[in-house]
Amino acid sequence: MSDPRQRDDSEDEDDFNPAPEVGSDVEDQADGNDDDDDQDDSPRRENKRQSPARSPAGDDHDGEDDEGEGEGEDVNGNAHDEDDDEEEEDEEEDEDEEIQGHRRKRRRDQRNAFIDIEAEVDDEEEGEDDDEDAEEAEGFIDREEVGEADLVGREDDTRHRELDRRRDAEETFDAEKQAEIYQKRYGARRPARGMGDSGVVPQRLLLPSVDDPSIWGVRCKEGKEREVVFSIMKRVDERMGTKDELGITAAFERGGPNSVMKGLIYVEAQRQNDVLSALDGMLNVYPRTKLLLVDIKEMPDLLRVQKTPTLEPGSWVRLKRPPKHAGDLAQVLDITQSGLEARVRFIPRLDYGMRDDPLAAMTPDGKRKRPLVGPRPPQKLFSEVEARKKNPRAISGNPTSNTWIYNGDEFENGFQVKDIKIQLLTVKDVNPSLEEVTKFASGGEDGVENIDLKSLAASLKDSSASVTYLPGDVIEVYDGEQRGVVGRATNVQGDIVTLDVTEGDLAGQTIEVPTKGLRKRFRPGDHVKVIGGSRYRDEVGMVVKISEDRVTLLTDQSTTEITVFSKDLREASDIGGQGSLGQYEMLDLIQLDPTTVACIVKIDRESMVVLDQNGDTRQVMPSQIANKLPRRKLAVAADRNGSEIRLDDVVKEYGGMGRQGKIVHIHRTWVFCHTNTTNENAGIFVSKVSNVSTISAKGGRSQHSSGPDLTKMNPALSMGPKGGAGMAPPPKPIIGRDRLVGQTVTIRKGGYKGLLGRVKETSDTHARVELHTKSKVVNVLKGDLIVKDAITGRELKNYDSRRPPGMGAPGRPGEGRTVPDWNGGSRTPMASSMSNRTPAWKTPSGAGNGGRTPAWSKGGGDFGGRTPAWAGADGSRTVNPYDGSRTAYGGSGSRTPAWNSGSKTPAPDSFSHGSKTPAYGGSGASDPWSSGSKTPYGAAAPTPGASGGGDTWGYTPGASGSSGAYDAPTPGALLGAPTPGAMNAPTPGAYNAPTPGAMNAPTPGAGWQGGWGAADAPTPAGGAPTPAASGSFAYAVNAPTPGAWSAETPAASGPRYEDD
Amino acid sequence: MERVGGNFVAPGQQRYLRACMVCSIVMTQTRFRQEGCPNCEEFLHLKGDPEAIETCTSQVFEGLITLANPARSWVAKWQRLDNYVQGVYATKVSGTLPEEVKTVLEEEYRITYIPRDGSAVETE
Repeated sequence: MSDPRQRDDSEDEDDFNPAPEVGSDVEDQADGNDDDDDQDDSPRRENKRQSPARSPAGDDHDGEDDEGEGEGEDVNGNAHDEDDDEEEEDEEEDEDEEIQGHRRKRRRDQRNAFIDIEAEVDDEEEGEDDDEDAEEAEGFIDREEVGEADLVGREDDTRHRELDRRRDAEETFDAEKQAEIYQKRYGARRPARGMGDSGVVPQRLLLPSVDDPSIWGVRCKEGKEREVVFSIMKRVDERMGTKDELGITAAFERGGPNSVMKGLIYVEAQRQNDVLSALDGMLNVYPRTKLLLVDIKEMPDLLRVQKTPTLEPGSWVRLKRPPKHAGDLAQVLDITQSGLEARVRFIPRLDYGMRDDPLAAMTPDGKRKRPLVGPRPPQKLFSEVEARKKNPRAISGNPTSNTWIYNGDEFENGFQVKDIKIQLLTVKDVNPSLEEVTKFASGGEDGVENIDLKSLAASLKDSSASVTYLPGDVIEVYDGEQRGVVGRATNVQGDIVTLDVTEGDLAGQTIEVPTKGLRKRFRPGDHVKVIGGSRYRDEVGMVVKISEDRVTLLTDQSTTEITVFSKDLREASDIGGQGSLGQYEMLDLIQLDPTTVACIVKIDRESMVVLDQNGDTRQVMPSQIANKLPRRKLAVAADRNGSEIRLDDVVKEYGGMGRQGKIVHIHRTWVFCHTNTTNENAGIFVSKVSNVSTISAKGGRSQHSSGPDLTKMNPALSMGPKGGAGMAPPPKPIIGRDRLVGQTVTIRKGGYKGLLGRVKETSDTHARVELHTKSKVVNVLKGDLIVKDAITGRELKNYDSRRPPGMGAPGRPGEGRTVPDWNGGSRTPMASSMSNRTPAWKTPSGAGNGGRTPAWSKGGGDFGGRTPAWAGADGSRTVNPYDGSRTAYGGSGSRTPAWNSGSKTPAPDSFSHGSKTPAYGGSGASDPWSSGSKTPYGAAAPTPGASGGGDTWGYTPGASGSSGAYDAPTPGALLGAPTPGAMNAPTPGAYNAPTPGAMNAPTPGAGWQGGWGAADAPTPAGGAPTPAASGSFAYAVNAPTPGAWSAETPAASGPRYEDD
Repeated sequence: MERVGGNFVAPGQQRYLRACMVCSIVMTQTRFRQEGCPNCEEFLHLKGDPEAIETCTSQVFEGLITLANPARSWVAKWQRLDNYVQGVYATKVSGTLPEEVKTVLEEEYRITYIPRDGSAVETE
């Protein structure tokens, strides 16, 4: 208030005119016309000089600006200066003085200097007229000019009368009384007057000056801004009139959900100390942190107010409340006059009382019902029928207009209609999706879609605020002063983009522009991708036409032209095609039907091309895909050499095209590999596991491509001396993981003697043991370890030959991993659990065993845990006929049955199984599959080999059934013959142990195994079709020709089969 | 100055706050009803008139200002609050006065009504 005055004082009288112009131009003209005011004024004017005298007075009260403008005098100037430092009461007195001042001035204009002092009096007498509004008052200057001719003529008369009146007044009133009167009269009106006044002064004249108090920003707790402001208010109130009165003049906050000025309040005061003392000890505000002095130029910005975009009927908003509808799209139907409430319609979420808990409703204690917890009902248009059905009393309405009131809510044409306060609506960045909008559109009775594209477009365009620019985007300024400038964004911060200008006058400079007037710029020929907003999202194509901010592009996929906003585009680096379609991505393995799997090699917009297991490509729709097979990282298969192959190994086809590639999927007997040498089918080819050989294994797993180790198969050898010590053969190459890994061991020797640990990894001779006591990994000779059961702590038979085996001499002491003793020990519980479970599972116990054992042998982690579960899962999914599948599956699981089954399953055990299971005999007779599923032997039975096996069994009950089975059919009977002992012997492992590979091996020795494994083999055993066989020799699955049976067996189709 | 004290509103009561659409003073609904608007009572007549309070004050406002010294504060001047009483004001009050009130303001009281919802600023 004080400021303009001061400023004006300091200026010349030249300002006299401009200032009034600002506020009173209109009135001036009005005066000239036949305005109300004019009517009032002119008579007075004509009568006397009164009106000029009075009007300044009115002016003073109505517009202090005007006073200021009029004043050029010292006296007044002084008055103002005082004014500045005083409280408002003083001001009022000052005003009186000012009034005088005005009058003086007036007089002087009239060259009546001597009347100065008495001017006030008029006002008194004309008090009623003073009520005239500001406009009249402001007109006084005009009046002077306009009415000059009149006035001059009456000047004398006027002056005399005034003089008289004044004298009278002087006698009547002294100054104090006058003041009182003024106070009384205008004091009450102050607010109103102030209003009118400030309305006239444009804000730009109110800009802060150096004399105004400064503003400091003070940190406060975010979200507590309002509280702090009220706390300050409280303190101001409390200290008012005391000696600690606060020195601050104002404090304010600009917090709010979307504000950038969160966590700050601003305090206006003359001195920083005032701020500190005002905020001292106040909660949630931190005046001790650095105070930010706000630059004078920035002060108005702090108080800038942006108009909330007005809602218009038809526009889209989102609801914040009621909670049930939070986030739902709604359409504005109408706005109340105050603009504070909107009538909106939205799709109701009704359950028609379905979920009302009758008990809760009846709670006698009158407690409020808890708000609904749990999923909210889906959006669905209101159905009168439903409502009537469930709660007929709650509904009323008019069927013809289709308006209803149900449970107090209004519904029109199926939509819920509600008046909602605008603060409960999200107005900005609504981004309605086409899908949502269509729901509203299809609400029409006739079913005709009547989307209001215009309002939709408006809503969408509004969202341009959320356009994101990224460094590197080429951007054009299309609005504002920098219009036409084109540049490359180098930095984006909030809504300010830093541009490196490349075109236009400013080329080479770096400018910062707000995103508001920006759009991305493309050129025809650019390869772009649609990034959002539109339904063409993720389309990629070439720009063919640009018109303003609309860009037409030719899509790569469908070669159709689409038009999108440039804000939704980005320059594309990739060519064509998305990497995914729904849940399917490139190179995913999918199930097309129970027997066909395929790998996705190309994805189009709506369809995809897949390469199936037979090497055929076909185009499929996502709907044709039965299942997506998860990529199993642990899938293991054996290549044609019997080496273990896993994902990411590099293999080469044997024969055929000799392609070489990295395995991406292993599924049963197929591997899908990726090669870089061709891009046909995205470089994917499919092959049989039996048709590839390992080139390199991921992570350098030890590989060997040897045939079966005959020495190991020789039962005679394995029978060996009980002690077995004498036999120590040279170390064998080892397949797969050392079973020692993961075992709990104690160290027998050395500095770490007696310490308990777990084997982390092994080499041929050493094991790295992670000690339990201290977190340290030490290298220990394998021979210095005692293997313990992780749970019971019981010592397992050490594989070391030096320790006399309890159960029988290990066949090959040297071959630590396969040593049966050890296996035997740990195996026992397994076997038993096996037997417990077997019936339940319907899994051939042999297979089960097989499935499991390897798990164990492989190092629990891999298969042990999984196999059964997996088998179970399989079972649950597979229909009974597919029992076989499990078998096969289990078998496959056991992949290395040779030694697994042998070594792990104590022959006697399995036998007893077999013998116990009635299914055994019967199954053999009846259904190979089911029988197979129940007992391994049963399974074996159907095969001639198996029968042979039967013999063998008879012969060597202790022998592993499998071995017997082999024996029979194979010339290699040598195995069988000598083996009773062998079998019984602790060394079932003998066969089994060493070589899964052996099975595949073409060697005659392998013959026996071939018998079973050899699906390929001509032996009836090949009949191994028996699940049992497959079970116990899962290996067969992987065998070169297991396809024969696997294909036959529904088992083969077991969906999960691939997995192991 | 007319009133000293009582401007404080406890946080729990702040949800009942309303802002006068004319002068932007922020008070609780209760206080508007009991005392009317300290600045605008003359023409808004809010005292004891819940309906008038409903139409002439708004629950939607932002940017609170504590006005300790309206006469000397630049903030007050800028916000055109400089002749008002001490108290808490809002920088922005959403909502518009009913037409009839506006008419009364401008014709009977010769007051130029400046909407406080931000729409005025843009026109300047």
